[in-house]
Amino acid sequence: MTLDRFRNLAEAYGGELSRWPVDERSAAERLLAAEPALAAVLAEASALDDLLAAVPAPSASAALAERIAASAPAPRRPRLSWAWPAGLGAGLAAACAAGLLAGVHMAERASEAEALLIAVSQDYSPYLEDDA
Amino acid sequence: MGTSDPDAELLSRVADGDPAAARALVARKLPRLLSLAGRMLGDPREAEDVAQDAFVRVWKQAPRWRAGEAKFDTWLHRVAMNLCYDRLRRRRETPMADPPERVDEGPGPDRGLLAADVGRQVARALQALPERQREAIVLCHYQELGNIEAAQVMGVSVEALESLLARGRRALRAALSDLAEA
Repeated sequence: MTLDRFRNLAEAYGGELSRWPVDERSAAERLLAAEPALAAVLAEASALDDLLAAVPAPSASAALAERIAASAPAPRRPRLSWAWPAGLGAGLAAACAAGLLAGVHMAERASEAEALLIAVSQDYSPYLEDDA
Repeated sequence: MGTSDPDAELLSRVADGDPAAARALVARKLPRLLSLAGRMLGDPREAEDVAQDAFVRVWKQAPRWRAGEAKFDTWLHRVAMNLCYDRLRRRRETPMADPPERVDEGPGPDRGLLAADVGRQVARALQALPERQREAIVLCHYQELGNIEAAQVMGVSVEALESLLARGRRALRAALSDLAEA
């Protein structure tokens, strides 16, 4: 590491080597040991670090934390979700078919409904098989 | 990003609606968000608003989070920074709306510099920096992000980050020269 690089790092990251880029710390320590005058560079940077540390951060109140946590997503309902595409999909189709059949029977239009059902089941059967 | 994300497991439980995980995530991240937004905006109330808005995005993102693509903490810093920039932009567009606190120009000659006075004076100097320089200092100094992570959050190279840091620190040193000599 060059002296210039050492000064540039102090200028950017401050006077604590622990804040410097990890891959340059060892070289910086070696250079510092060889060039004791560089301690003054670190001291100057540390003086600004100390001033920066005087700026307080807003504290996290318990009320704020509670309010935010309460806005988190509610627990999921029991895990039906993954059964949806396969079992429930087929079940839904069956339910639709039953409902449709019942309605059609009441309307005494059974033959049309059966034709429709056959069409529907043919249209969707590939998806149902895939899901299962 | 080969290393495991320390927040991934907690995030997964949040996505499942585990209230204890949500509380734990808030306890872990809220102080960091307030630190970031407080130093970027110089206004504690606005910092709280930013923190709340950031968590709204966390809750939405949690079910979609895919570990290994990005570190959650890096993503959260970017989200919070964007929210801060939204507010800074709004301030510029409506300069009369709630300007940041303006304190008098320092302590009187007959009283010493109290720690709170120093804090206020440094905070003012920080707010007076160009936003990108302030962002670099906030991320590296206050949030203690590594240089690569801070550069990622800012969307710049490490060299550009170092330049922003150095310029920001030089400006601060000049603005605070009386304090540094005290």
